[in-house]
Amino acid sequence: MTTQHMTYYHQEITQIEKTCYSNKRHLQTVIGLRHYINNNFDKELSLSLLSNIRFTSKFHLLRLFKRYYGQTPKQYHIDKRIEQAKLLLTKGAAVTETCYTLGFDSPSSFSTLFKSRVGLTPTEFQKRATFTKSVKI
Amino acid sequence: MKVKVISIPVLDQEKALQFYTEKLGFVKKIDVPLGGGTRWLTVVSQEEQDGPEILLEPAPNHFEPAKVYQQALFEAGIPWTQFNVDDTQKEYERLVNLGVEFSIQPTEMGTVKVAVFNDNCGNNIQIVQML
Repeated sequence: MTTQHMTYYHQEITQIEKTCYSNKRHLQTVIGLRHYINNNFDKELSLSLLSNIRFTSKFHLLRLFKRYYGQTPKQYHIDKRIEQAKLLLTKGAAVTETCYTLGFDSPSSFSTLFKSRVGLTPTEFQKRATFTKSVKI
Repeated sequence: MKVKVISIPVLDQEKALQFYTEKLGFVKKIDVPLGGGTRWLTVVSQEEQDGPEILLEPAPNHFEPAKVYQQALFEAGIPWTQFNVDDTQKEYERLVNLGVEFSIQPTEMGTVKVAVFNDNCGNNIQIVQML
């Protein structure tokens, strides 16, 4: 599509793409790291291991991820785990089972983190999810 | 404070309800008559029915500056808001088959893939897939 036929918004995002996302090697690295976390959210996040796989320093990896995704790999890892925990709890998995399936150290640390992110304890969340399901039926 | 409702201005609430439920797949949540033919009308994502509600509000028909602002954004191709999808290309194809018109076809932009469509209610809406 020629610039002439593009909307103002299309021209703007094309310009942003050129200005901010021209380094394809960086993009490949951070997208690869995000996919790795998506597929291994139940494991401890080791930046040393990831930096070895990507042939780069762990500080560089950390900086790149934050630069392109706006949060650290650790923050993203936690978000992913919470998202999965909500899915498992909604499907009826026990709190302890959810905790260990997702790789948390203990039910108490899991509950504290869950409450700080979701605003409810895993048990409260599950009760509400079960209630909503039954109301829909 | 919690985020419970975000609003999208629409020119016709009934037409908007049909588009957002039948084409986009949202679910009607709240529908309260407010007199004069207007409604407090919200929809939610099918997958997150306890998540934030979208208020389909008829502001452009009742407040001229809202209409002017909406029109200006629309003409510039600027999305009013955006929704996340798992696969932009797939969603694009599904919506095109339903007759939805796109001003931007699926386009990679760094760490996301975006596309922009016309919601037929006066807005451009962007869909985004995280890469």
